[in-house]
Amino acid sequence: MNSRTLIRVIAEREFMTRVRSRVFAITTVLTVIAIAGYILLQAFVFNKSTTSLDVGFVGPAQSMAAPVRAEAAGLGVGITVHPYTSLAVGKADVASGALDALVTGSGASTTITVQSTVDGTLQVALNDVAREQVLTQYLTQHALPPSDVESQLAFSVSVNELSPVDAARVEQIVIGLLVAGILYTSLIIYGQLVAAGVIEEKSNRIVEILLATVRPWQLMMGKIIGIGLVALVQIVLVAGVALVVASVTKLVSIPTLSVDVLLGGVGWFVLGYLIYALLFAAAGSMVSRQEDVSSVALPVMLVLVAAWILALTVAAPTPAAVGTTVLSFIPLFTPVIMPIRIAAGVVPFWQVAISVILVIGTIYLFAILAGRIYRNSVLRVGGRVNFGEALGLPPIERGDPSNATM
Amino acid sequence: MLQLESVTKRYGDLEALHELSLSVQDGEIFGFVGANGAGKTTTMRVVLGVLEADAGTVLWNGTEITFALRRRIGYIPEDRGLYPKMAILAQLTYFARLHGMSRHDARAASTSWLERLGLADRAQSQLQALSHGNQQRVQLAAALVFSPELLVLDEPFAGLDPVAVDAMSDVLRAQANEGRPVVVSSHQLDIVERLCDRVGIINHGQMVATGTVTELTERGPLRFWVDIPAAAPGWYSGIAGVTLVEQDGSRWLLQLADESGEQAVLRAALALGPVHEFRRDRPGLTQLFRDVMTGGAVGE
Repeated sequence: MNSRTLIRVIAEREFMTRVRSRVFAITTVLTVIAIAGYILLQAFVFNKSTTSLDVGFVGPAQSMAAPVRAEAAGLGVGITVHPYTSLAVGKADVASGALDALVTGSGASTTITVQSTVDGTLQVALNDVAREQVLTQYLTQHALPPSDVESQLAFSVSVNELSPVDAARVEQIVIGLLVAGILYTSLIIYGQLVAAGVIEEKSNRIVEILLATVRPWQLMMGKIIGIGLVALVQIVLVAGVALVVASVTKLVSIPTLSVDVLLGGVGWFVLGYLIYALLFAAAGSMVSRQEDVSSVALPVMLVLVAAWILALTVAAPTPAAVGTTVLSFIPLFTPVIMPIRIAAGVVPFWQVAISVILVIGTIYLFAILAGRIYRNSVLRVGGRVNFGEALGLPPIERGDPSNATM
Repeated sequence: MLQLESVTKRYGDLEALHELSLSVQDGEIFGFVGANGAGKTTTMRVVLGVLEADAGTVLWNGTEITFALRRRIGYIPEDRGLYPKMAILAQLTYFARLHGMSRHDARAASTSWLERLGLADRAQSQLQALSHGNQQRVQLAAALVFSPELLVLDEPFAGLDPVAVDAMSDVLRAQANEGRPVVVSSHQLDIVERLCDRVGIINHGQMVATGTVTELTERGPLRFWVDIPAAAPGWYSGIAGVTLVEQDGSRWLLQLADESGEQAVLRAALALGPVHEFRRDRPGLTQLFRDVMTGGAVGE
């Protein structure tokens, strides 16, 4: 029976028992609800700020209605004009919430009545229009044609952007960070699942029967692949729901969250998962009880957390900097940091290719090391296996056979 | 046939096995007895390849055992191990598939073993929902489901009630009758005495005695119980090589240097008056085991 078949049988068991478990169903549904809820909330808040305002204009103020609406529209706020003849009725409508604001008076005596706070854009537009009214009146009184003055003022300050911000590019970086964030979270969750799974077999002592049948590395790879597939299914489900909800609510346009970004994300997850799952599996094999998982997994977790902090503080703000470039080539950081650089569009293809080769090489190296640690540790019960023994190095001090398997 | 030749295994300074040799024929049930820590489990783990011996070889039908051959061994480890939360049918199917059976064959074999062991109605139950005895049956089924060529069972009777012990014994006997060598370790010497064709006693990592139960007990000192109410102390002193081991009322336990003294003792006894009992004292396996553990001789 060849290794591939054995690993497939092992991975299949890992996958099936986990996917059928209640925990999987509950966590998937909760994550989907949380993400969909978050996006809907975002969409709601976002849409609210572009909703047009209902503004009432009483008596003389009605002369300002058209210019105010034009001015506000230029600033991105739509205004629906409601003419009023009675001040009392208008105020009552503001109080009841039927109107967002009521404008009375004109020129310097213009007053705006709102329930609690005034919309900033409306205030700016109204100020401009009222001042213009006063100015026009003043100019006319002094026999200066307002149109002459207006033509003199028809200019705007020209802006010289030394490094212009591309709106689409910002969205790309946000997406890159999102991909990196999802990767980081899933690596933490599924990496620990791998460690816990190794310890489970060790504490159940089932590993002894298994190792009479399969090689340690086959068992380890089967477990890593099985859990990895569970992770992929969960991520694809969650990401799929997020995409559908986001595109329905028009929060993110599908072209920017393009297929290649998603495929890239999946690719980076596979690489990142393999590199970290091997470390988590090796760590898990060194202890015998679930309580000890956090202590052995801590060093691995610290590296992951460091990768994420660097992604947030260095890579995202300065994706093109030399520091970020260097970080993105460190194999343990590559899967979290490179997606940000790629999304920011500052990385040539050859750099991506080299980093992927480095990561694959590291995975190969880790597979050998982790396989060795796993083989030397997984049958040992009792205390924690020290690192030297796990690597199969000769003991420095001889003696105490207390944690040997008898 | 399974053979171990001069197998030595060390843990640091502790020598767990010292040049241990044994052989188990096809169709034979070999009982492995010894105190805790004597090396039974270590020996079995070396056979399974779970542990690597520091010296010596394990032979299967005359050639050095390989990983592929080891995969043909049905094994119950000392520390029982199955997935507590997995349905037992799925669990057995998994083990059968790990041993190379197709999905379909694995499922059929698992179902048939569950039926044979009276667990067919629990096929979908999680292991942890079963009683200890039933969990033990599943463990046995996991060792047998792929039709192994050799059985290595570490303490298969531990914690079983007498009925379950009989059921387990029947299964093992049937396996041996199909030509498989069966290696069993146990502290329940009465079961070993009843079930095993041959027994090996291990102490401090060394095989101190092997043979059939009868062979082993005959290796003990030549002792006779003689019941003669008319005897006076020292009545046997005229016979060469006879010493007193124990006296219980009119019953005397005498140890003879060799078998030639047997008839001489009987004649001397008859000369004194009526003899109510004249019987060879055969130590049971339990007595033999105690003698070994306390450093007593087991002959040779």
